Amino acid sequence: MKSIQTLIRVGTVAAAASIAFSSHAADPIRIGVAVGLSGANSVVAPAVVQSSQLAVDQINAGGGILGRQIQLEIVDDASGAIGAQKAFDTLVFEKKVDAVIAMETSAARNAALPVIARGKVPYIYTSFYEGRSCNNWMYVNGWVPEQQVAPVVNYFIKAKNAKTYFLVGSDYSFGRGMLDFTKKYIEQNGGKVVGEEYLPMDGSDWTAVVSKIRSVKPDALISATAGGAPNVSLAKQLKGAGLNLPYGNLAIDEGTAKTMGDVATGLFMSASYLTSIDTPENKKFVGDLGKKFGGDLKTPNELSEPQFEAFHLYKAAVEKAGSTDSAKVIKALGEVSFNGPRGPVSMNKSRHTPLSMRLGQVQSDGSIKILETFANVDPGAQCPNIK
Amino acid sequence: MVLLLDLLTTASMLFVVTAGLMMIFGVMKIVNFAHGALLTMGGYAAFVVTQLQLSPWLSWPLAFATGVVVGAAVEYFIVRPLYKRPLDAILATWGLGIVIGQLIVMAFGREVKFADTPLQGTWAILGVDYSAYRLLLIPVAFGLCALLSGLLNGTRFGVKTRAVIMNEELASGLGIHSGRIRFITFSLGAGLGTLAGTLITPLSSVDPGMGLPWLVSAFMLVMVSGHSMLSLMLTCLVFGTCQVLVSTYASPVLGGMTLALLAALTLRIRPEGFARG
Repeated sequence: MKSIQTLIRVGTVAAAASIAFSSHAADPIRIGVAVGLSGANSVVAPAVVQSSQLAVDQINAGGGILGRQIQLEIVDDASGAIGAQKAFDTLVFEKKVDAVIAMETSAARNAALPVIARGKVPYIYTSFYEGRSCNNWMYVNGWVPEQQVAPVVNYFIKAKNAKTYFLVGSDYSFGRGMLDFTKKYIEQNGGKVVGEEYLPMDGSDWTAVVSKIRSVKPDALISATAGGAPNVSLAKQLKGAGLNLPYGNLAIDEGTAKTMGDVATGLFMSASYLTSIDTPENKKFVGDLGKKFGGDLKTPNELSEPQFEAFHLYKAAVEKAGSTDSAKVIKALGEVSFNGPRGPVSMNKSRHTPLSMRLGQVQSDGSIKILETFANVDPGAQCPNIK
Repeated sequence: MVLLLDLLTTASMLFVVTAGLMMIFGVMKIVNFAHGALLTMGGYAAFVVTQLQLSPWLSWPLAFATGVVVGAAVEYFIVRPLYKRPLDAILATWGLGIVIGQLIVMAFGREVKFADTPLQGTWAILGVDYSAYRLLLIPVAFGLCALLSGLLNGTRFGVKTRAVIMNEELASGLGIHSGRIRFITFSLGAGLGTLAGTLITPLSSVDPGMGLPWLVSAFMLVMVSGHSMLSLMLTCLVFGTCQVLVSTYASPVLGGMTLALLAALTLRIRPEGFARG
């Protein structure tokens, strides 16, 4: 009698254990996404969330990663440094995510990196930025100035025979950083910068700048303003003043260019991702998004596409490493590649990613025509001290 | 030459965005901090007109009418009980500005919008091709100045308004309906605010935050100028000139601070204001 009871008891324990074990095996992999659902980034955030959801759906439908489903943890970072710190704290220490995939402003990224380092969680940074941010736990798949500036300047030199340049920016780290690099690049290539002007970030009165451009008569104009509003006011005032010199904008996204209508017509921009990229991978990406979100679809952009890509890169890395162990995944992230909407990408250059850059020109109907594709543009030695 | 046109057009722009605030402050001693949101509303009025594919010129009357209606409602429900508490009125109008801003976000989203420009291209004047729309702003500003001065100094309404400004109780005793005067003035000021928002749209972007930088400039200008529209015009000319000169010969970043700096200096040296007799 007693032995039977023991047997039952042992059996129960064994069964329970096996249930626990199997449930452990099927434990989802949690991936954290911190994104600016409120604040300045809330314009792009919905597209970023959608491409994250699409990537997760695709991976889960294909059997997950190492047989485990992915669970998405989306947290609002309020588009700022303090919000990002809280959001990353929540993701890393409370939700105990296996990885974080997120775009951030530069200030917010810098605030979040110590949290990532303390929690030892792999982090894929999916935003373009001014470069040279390095951390053992971080990889970057957005562009840096080395990749973004060259197509525009090269094209102006070659096709427009431009020798003198005027640079205009908003007075903050991205604007100054981009134009510092642009200036160096122009001078290295035999051009001359004849004027460089900045306006405060919220400035909208470009009167003096426009008059200076008119009096200096440069061959070409390149701007790096804060996204959105300053782009529009600058373009309107340039057009109003009747200036129509070749104009390259380093800080405009496809969506803003579209809403600007005829003011943006003829504008040159450089991007790693444009919706008009003519590859089966991009067509599938845009088509799948359309199928999943229908009328609520937010146009994918330079921030949301790398987000999508990063999930697939993480999947490849975990599969290569054979586990979600942070150190192993970090090693593998620099070795794997994914053939996505932007073409094959691999974060194998000093924690950054060689990218195919597209030079686009805004057409009168608001669409962006790709004039030239510069394959495999090297980001340079961004983080020489990280192996 | 270009510099002269830059000066004149900048001063005109400053006057246009400040006139509505001046109207309300001059008569009621209340700083309407919802002015920035009213400017934004004007921008969206232009956007709506573009969406409806109407002539962009229609955005001017539409914006003015919208502003008057909103101003009337705001005066009746929010500002009226606060005339004796100007500090509370600042708080209330500031909060109202936030509410209007959020309503705009809910209705139109946060993205930058685009509105058609009534007047495009350039005019050749005195040997330079200058933005036609900016040139148009010069007569608009001076016309507005003349119109408002005429209204306040040359009409029955103006006399009553000044009576209310000087001694409200006495004015009421003489049978002037001071409440109605305030109501009309506030509505008119709000209408001028939204009209200004539409007027600056061809030079700026339409987004929920478009009015805020202008509100700061307008506030400074109202603080340092006197009570009359003419003194406001004079202040705009002098301060606008300084702003353009600093932007042109020093740096636009410093140019952006010129207004605030000058305003602070002026009030330090002449607490009664720049153009006040």
